This record gives sequence, structure tokens and C-alpha cells, in this order.
Amino acid sequence: MPEVQNREMMCAPRLQQEWGFGGRRKIRDGALLIALFLGGIGAGQFVVSTWIFNYPLSALIGLLFVAVGKSAAHLIYLGRPTRFFRLFLKPRTSWISRGLIFMVILIIFGGGYLAPLYGFDWLPWTTEDLLGKLILAVALMAAFIVMIYDGFVLASCKSISSWHTMLLPVMFFAYAIAGGVAMTAITFIFDSDASLSVESIVSLDLVLLAAMGALVAFYIINLASSDITAKESLRRLLFSRTAFFFIGLSILAGLMIPLALTAMHQMESEGAIASLLLGISAVLELAGDISIRHSILKAGLHAPVF
Amino acid sequence: MVRYGLVIDLKRCTGCFGCVIACKAEHQTPPKVFWAKVLRSESGKYPVVNRQPLPVLCMHCKEPACKDVCPTGATKQREDGIVVVDNKLCVGCRYCVVACPYGARYFVEKWKDYFTGKDQPSSKYAEYAKKKWLAENDRGVVTKCNFCSERLEKDLKPACVEACPAEARTFGDLDDPESEASRLIKKRRGFRLKEELGTDPCVYYLPSR
Repeated sequence: MPEVQNREMMCAPRLQQEWGFGGRRKIRDGALLIALFLGGIGAGQFVVSTWIFNYPLSALIGLLFVAVGKSAAHLIYLGRPTRFFRLFLKPRTSWISRGLIFMVILIIFGGGYLAPLYGFDWLPWTTEDLLGKLILAVALMAAFIVMIYDGFVLASCKSISSWHTMLLPVMFFAYAIAGGVAMTAITFIFDSDASLSVESIVSLDLVLLAAMGALVAFYIINLASSDITAKESLRRLLFSRTAFFFIGLSILAGLMIPLALTAMHQMESEGAIASLLLGISAVLELAGDISIRHSILKAGLHAPVF
Repeated sequence: MVRYGLVIDLKRCTGCFGCVIACKAEHQTPPKVFWAKVLRSESGKYPVVNRQPLPVLCMHCKEPACKDVCPTGATKQREDGIVVVDNKLCVGCRYCVVACPYGARYFVEKWKDYFTGKDQPSSKYAEYAKKKWLAENDRGVVTKCNFCSERLEKDLKPACVEACPAEARTFGDLDDPESEASRLIKKRRGFRLKEELGTDPCVYYLPSR
């Protein structure tokens, strides 16, 4: 296997240097990673809080992550942010356009659904009536696309073997929902007025952690059985500096420890210790979420042209 | 209809980087931006080693991956097959840079001087270079080879073709079976890079042996 190309003039696998921290613009390129992360957990939190737990405050926080956090991060990343509106022009062929259009739909319909609860009670719908439910349905559909579109953005790059797999949209979806559950748990811990079933949060979390573990395992197997560039990407994930993020943060801190903490929570489900376990587990899951996205971006290698 | 293409004879290419310099001189591309480049490829083991220079540029694909992924429509394909970036429409999202299998696209945040690395020109020539670059390109957008379309309008060949001392490059109409380019492809069994991706590149290579 030829050495990974670290200079322009060698015929070898070439690192993608455009997306994620440490790219051509070092820190500023990391804004894209932040946008993917905030979009995923924000949309996930909105879905989990409205569809599963009926927790409007958490849904609003999720929506703000998308509307403010993700949007701002995208603008920071762009080379010409004043032309951002052009990003919406090619939904027929570009996953970026599709994702951003659905992001706007999520913000409008999600905001519309929650508006009657936050001072806009003069609006002709409530969160309980049919019109309100229809608005929520559109917002949920848009949230679903927002959670998976970044996976499709990566998967559409044919020359990067480690990205060109339909596992990525599925993984990003699972991580977005899990991030949403983690954010809902954190909001719940700090919100003394909330009345949620902690058991259902913990049970859902357990299922998601197991699913994410299985998906990461499938991803590794997929890379190991793919072409030589994908194998080099896997080597970078497991044995280079990226391994700290992939193995250390994504797998150990983001999956294994939360799994153990959630299991401990099943035994100690009352009082301050239970809240602490839930909080630590949620924070670690979020760290795992952002670091797996970072690892996947950093392990992206273009196949040699010759 | 014309479909411009380039044929590169690997048997003739000596890896002199003349095409790289000609491109730089023609377009005044900033540091670390190579619209035309020569990759070094080595195969075999000592004492039987083969070293092959591989000139690479935008392949001006018939089915360009960069065009489909562009969310703004800034990447366009002209009727003559040349793929261009409209720098007035590009937002610098760099999806095309990531999607291009050939590494032919470059994001340029701002013009930089070759010697100081700063955005102030350090000499009169650098002043000219900056002026030319900014007149034809923009800050914060993606740039790439355009087959020297401004030279084609004047019935000139692309700068890299003109400059190649080994005459390893042949530019012509691929849709015309009588053109020198088409004739060479047929006679020498020209091949293309990464054909399996379905991009239908318009740059052909003639085998070195």
C-alpha cells in the first residue's frame, strides 16, 4: 500500500482536506463538523421530544440547535457566506440542497407547531388539534431528512471508499436519535418542572446504544472487506491519531461507558445518583456522536487516480 | 458538435513539469493551487523499478461528478464539453472538491503572494499576478482548469499543450473521428483514469509501453 499522500505530487491515496477540523483552513473548516453534529442532535431532540416524550421545552431547544447553531456553523464554514441562499437551488441533484431545504421546512413547521405554547396562542391551531398534528407530521418528516441527509452527502462521493456506503445515512440517523435522547435527558435533569418517565429514556437509550454499536461494527467490517483505499481508511481509524477519537471517544467513551452507566442506572434509578449517571451518560454519548463524525471525515481518503 | 478533449502520451512525457509552469504562468494561480500537475508514480522493487510521471488536470468529464453535487449550479458544462465554475455563483461549500475523483479542484480563500505568503503583493510581477487572478476568479470560491477557454476563443491551444517540450499533449475534438486526438486514441489504445466511476472523462492517456 503506498504511503498516504501528504504532498500534492504523488500518485497515492489522497486525504480529503476540505471538511472537518484540520482541513485547509484548520479551525474554520471544523464549523462543518459542528453543523453536522448540531443538525443531527437538534433534529433528533425535536423528534424524540415531540413524538415520544411530549416535552415541548426540549423540542424547542432542539429546534434552536438547528435554527441557530447549525445555520450559524454553515455560514461560518462557507467561503462566500453572503451567497448562502444559492445553496437551495439544486435539490434535484445535490444532497446539500435537499438537506438545507428540509432544514428550513423543519424550522418553519417545527416552530409553527410549538408557537401556540410560547405566546402565540392566537394562532388558529394548538398542539393537540388536527391542524397542529398535521404541522407536526411535516416537521417530523423534515427532521428525518435533516438527520440522514449528511450521510447521503458523504455516501454520494464515489471516489472516497470509506464514505461511499449506505451504512452512513443509517449510522448518522441512529446517532442523531441517540443524541436527541441524550439532549432530552440533559434538559430533563435541569428542568425541575418536567415530568418524564426516566425509565423510558433509559430503555430507549439502551436500545440505541446497542444499535449504534452494531452499526459501528458493520462499518468496520465493511471497510475491512472493501478496496485497498477503504482498508487504509480503516487503518487510520484504528492506528493513527484519529484512533484517539474513533476508539477512545466514539467507542469507549461514547458507547461502552454509557452502556455500563445505563445498566447501572437500571439498578440505581432513584435520587441524585441516578440523575448523575444519566447526565454523565448523556454527555459521553454526545462526545461520542461528534467524535465519530469527526473520525469518519478525517478517515476520508480519495483512491489514487492511477 | 465539438467535444474538446486532451490526449497525453505517457511514452513521451518526461515529467519536466513544463505544463505545470505554463498553467501557472497563464492563470497566475496562487501557491498550492495546481490546475495542471504531474503526479509521480513508482512501481516495482529494486532493481526493477518503473517511475512514471502522470500529468493530471481536470478531466472535463462528460458525466461530471462535481456538476451533479453542486448545490448552486455554479459548476456548468459548456456545449463544447468544457466544465467551468461560475465564480459569481459559487458559495465555497466544496462539495465538488470532495466529489471530484481526480483532485482537480481547488478552494482558494484568498490570493497569497508566492514568496511572503501574505495577501499583499511583494513585487510588481506579484501585483500583476494578483490583479489577473482576481479579475478572472474570486475569493472564497472553488477554481479549476478550464482548458484555457480564453485561449481557445483566440484559436490558440491550451497553455500546457503549447508548452510541452516533448509534444506529449494533443488537444482536439473527440467527436471528430478524423482529429489527431481521436486518431491517436484509436491507434494507441488510449485509456482514461478511473473509468469505473462512470464519469466519462475527456482526457485520454496513451500507454507508456
